[in-house]
Amino acid sequence: MKILLKAFLLTAPINFAYAAEGQKSAGLPQMDIATFPSQLFWLVITFSLLYLFMWKFVIPRLGATIEERRDKISNDINDADNLNTEATDILKKYDEQMASASQESNEIITNSKKAMLDHLEMLKKENEVKLNSLISESQAKIKAQEEKSKTEIRNATLDTIKAIVSRYIENIPSDEEINKKLN
Amino acid sequence: MAADNPIDPIHQFEISKIADIQLGGIDISFTNSSLFMVFALAATMALFVIGLSKKSIVPNRMQMLSELSYNFIANMLRDQVGDQGRAYFPFIFSLFMFIFFCNFIGLIPYTFTVTSHLIVTFAFAGLIFIAVTIIGFVKNGLGYLRIFYPSGIPIFLAPLIVPIEIISYLSKPISLSVRLCANMLAGHSILKIFAGFIVMLGFLGFAPLVFLVVLYALETLIAALQAYIFTILTCIYLNDALHPDH
Repeated sequence: MKILLKAFLLTAPINFAYAAEGQKSAGLPQMDIATFPSQLFWLVITFSLLYLFMWKFVIPRLGATIEERRDKISNDINDADNLNTEATDILKKYDEQMASASQESNEIITNSKKAMLDHLEMLKKENEVKLNSLISESQAKIKAQEEKSKTEIRNATLDTIKAIVSRYIENIPSDEEINKKLN
Repeated sequence: MAADNPIDPIHQFEISKIADIQLGGIDISFTNSSLFMVFALAATMALFVIGLSKKSIVPNRMQMLSELSYNFIANMLRDQVGDQGRAYFPFIFSLFMFIFFCNFIGLIPYTFTVTSHLIVTFAFAGLIFIAVTIIGFVKNGLGYLRIFYPSGIPIFLAPLIVPIEIISYLSKPISLSVRLCANMLAGHSILKIFAGFIVMLGFLGFAPLVFLVVLYALETLIAALQAYIFTILTCIYLNDALHPDH
């Protein structure tokens, strides 16, 4: 910028001559060369101040803040990652324990089921045996009763026949004879 | 006289003296232009002084704003130039903030736009041009001249390419300064012209008023955009000086 200013100053006499001539005409204010030194001078001053302010104050501070935040964020992310792996481990352990516990309980369930079924089977068999013996016993009783009633009926029939026959004829038939006739 | 006309769009660019200062026969008076340069400086300082007053890990709004601008320019410089650009960061950052605030303060009615004067933008562009050329030669020696003859060009095209490259290199400060200045000049002139239409049309003035509102939004965008363009082009020129081989 200083170089430009110097270049301008070297050509200043010519420029001023131009400016003096054009000042009265309604040209663009941008072409009014007489205002150039003042604009350049104040531009150099204000921009230099701005540059110094940025260079010495803003950039170091902002850079430090941004850097600090970046560090903090990456640290926090690291911490979170560590906690995450820890939690994953715990979850894994928990799952393992859950799996073993459920396996154990399954075993217990199957074992007790089996024991129950065995017991049931045993009871069934026992009862069957009892039942069978009861049935055969009763069948024998029934048969005996049947036999008994048969002979009783026969005897009663014989007696009755004997009684009836003795009313009408004197000759009482023997049991054998009656049996022959009845059959 | 143009200045007597109340709706003369050029009137807003006129420079008036506030304090007459003469130094060795040269007029360096404190003018309205100087005043608004000081305003831009003060606005930047206010932003960062308030923004940096707390320096907390979780930033408040002003700190957020200052950090946003810092990161914006830092990223721009890193993307365009790389790590070698770090040394030029204070300049690039100051350049952006100064032009940005000059453009924005100029959008307030009855203010003066520092960057609408070609001499100001040309001072920046010229400084950048000279600095970039010096950096180019210091970092690369005479090898910096390679930027005028890009690799992979057949030798018989050199008489054509080299003058074109030299002209394009020399026109960089002109295009850089004229782009910013012309944008500010044209935008503010149009705003003033349409504001004048509102007054002239009376009741029918609502039509240009609507247009003015839209235009003002556009000018706000342009104010930010031109500051950005000026800064990013500076970064690109700097990159060319640091890495002439592309």
